Amino acid sequence: MIMPSAHQWVEGETLVQHFESRGISRREFMEFCGEMAVILGIGSAATPRIAEAFEAAKRPSVIWLQLQECTGCVESVLRTESPTIGDLLLDVISLDYNHTLMAGAGAAVEKAKQAAMSANKGKYLLVVTGSVPLKEDGMYTVIGGRTAKTVLEEAASGAAAILALGACAHWGSVQAARPNPTGAVGVRDVIKNKPILNIAGCPPIGDVVTATVVHYLTFGRLPAVDGEGRPLFAYGKRIHDQCSRRAHFDAGQFVETFDDEGARKGWCLYEVGCKGPATFSPCPIFMWNARTSWPIGAGHPCLGCTEPHFWDTMTPFYGRLPDVGGFPVEERADTIGLALAIGAAAGIAAHGAATVFTQIRRRRSTNQVPESTSEEESHNG
Amino acid sequence: MTTRVGALGGARGMLGRVQRVFARERGNFTWVYLWSAPIRAMHWIAAACILSLILTGFYIGRPYFATSGEASAHFLMGRVRFVHFAAAAVLVMTGIVRAYWLMVGNQFERLPALFPVTGKNISNLVKTAGSYLTFRPDKQPNFVGHNPMQQWSYTAVYVMAVVTVVTGFTLYGQSAPGSVIFRAFSWLPPLLGGLQGIRVIHHLMTWAFIIFIEMHVYFAIRSDYVERAGVVSSIITGGRYISTDHSYEDYDIAKVPSHPWPTGEHRTPGKGA
Repeated sequence: MIMPSAHQWVEGETLVQHFESRGISRREFMEFCGEMAVILGIGSAATPRIAEAFEAAKRPSVIWLQLQECTGCVESVLRTESPTIGDLLLDVISLDYNHTLMAGAGAAVEKAKQAAMSANKGKYLLVVTGSVPLKEDGMYTVIGGRTAKTVLEEAASGAAAILALGACAHWGSVQAARPNPTGAVGVRDVIKNKPILNIAGCPPIGDVVTATVVHYLTFGRLPAVDGEGRPLFAYGKRIHDQCSRRAHFDAGQFVETFDDEGARKGWCLYEVGCKGPATFSPCPIFMWNARTSWPIGAGHPCLGCTEPHFWDTMTPFYGRLPDVGGFPVEERADTIGLALAIGAAAGIAAHGAATVFTQIRRRRSTNQVPESTSEEESHNG
Repeated sequence: MTTRVGALGGARGMLGRVQRVFARERGNFTWVYLWSAPIRAMHWIAAACILSLILTGFYIGRPYFATSGEASAHFLMGRVRFVHFAAAAVLVMTGIVRAYWLMVGNQFERLPALFPVTGKNISNLVKTAGSYLTFRPDKQPNFVGHNPMQQWSYTAVYVMAVVTVVTGFTLYGQSAPGSVIFRAFSWLPPLLGGLQGIRVIHHLMTWAFIIFIEMHVYFAIRSDYVERAGVVSSIITGGRYISTDHSYEDYDIAKVPSHPWPTGEHRTPGKGA
């Protein structure tokens, strides 16, 4: 049984000692290490290595900045009905600074952050949720009298590595959707000289964060990433290729409206706009809310929230293809294509008809077939 | 013949009608060989591929058949996608052969034939377009091979094909991240608004091909009717008959030696000219 934060993970105490004091048995601990090894894709043979690293792990210092965001990522990652060891791990490592979860407020908290940053300079892990607004000198997000950009740059300068958690910290999310009035950008657009890991999603799954922290504690570095800077162990495959409804896609069985028979039978949501074929995410495997369910499992198409600029590129959320702009009424690709094809066919028909008409007239006037001429006779002769 | 018709008495009017039905173009004609066998084969293989790619592509884009019952009993989308991918692979093969033939083909098949950029070509392009728009085939400059309008439109089709194939393979590669195809095209999605951007371009290209096919078939058949050019047969047999009474913008009849028919070999005009 996991106890709530009755006491903190103190300096000098190893992680295993702390777990024991919180009532976690050796067996539960080893199960957790095995699970993490599987999630990270490094194989169950790596379980002892993770356990060993945890036995020796001292409390890492983590600074958690919340910038221009909705706090949904904190909710998703930290708040669960029945905390798992992974949740506990996140709970205990995120103690130095997180302005939503901290009991204190105001100048005292800012002071604590400064103290933690200078005490662990170059060693602490920086977690960032929320984007950085750049327009109007960044006045759209101001914390403790300073802009998000200043706060981020200051915290990043002493960080060992940065976890950009959620779509906002990744690339800006909804506030960066066109026309992006606040000039919101992700962490990677502001900080260029630190290793940044993007834990994509709106919000991301807590397990990905846990596993990343486990990887960091075990190997002392961030896991391998894809072209978007997302950890490959989680974002290495498309939702479409791991989907529990994939068999219905291959069979040609599709939900056409949300209350049809296909929807009741759990068929593929491809035709109602599922972005699973364009989205790299571990949702079908890790799932949400203590592995209860996930959007497609619950009958809703994927919105593609782990992909950059999904508010612009994945919309309409309930349509297969993006709208094609430049028209007063937003039109679908097929409407435009069909209109052009019919237009071309009509043009061809008109051109053909005009050709026939002019040819008949021309031939009548210039190209009469003679009944009999001397030339004709010589040819036939 | 006149006497025989005379013997038939009042059939002269009837013969006139028959002659109109079986009207002949008069003059001197010669047969020229234009399109090498590989070009013709690739044309028809590519046509079959594109047709099946359009049909299967529209199914993949918006499945127009549904199956019922257990999913395990069906593999409709799976098969359709297989046909789509296989046809795409064959289409790439025809593209490779065509690209090789851009280097080794005759003057009508080589790379410069895709880019008629000289002043004379541009003026002929304008004249050709003008003759189409004003319905005056008699004002159309004569070409043995493709006229500049055709040349540019086929160049455009090759560009369309490359765009469609590249976007298609980008989408195809997504199922196997880290594969050669995935890596080869991974630079593309960020430039074009992600995979959905790629998808909509691929989809719009399908419509572009449909519009091209409409116009291509129309102009080919129209040319056979109006210009008596025999171009439809030229992509089957490789050659067509041209009037030796005209001069041609891209072919000097006087310089190409003729061969007796039917025993002589048909000379590829491009190599002799």
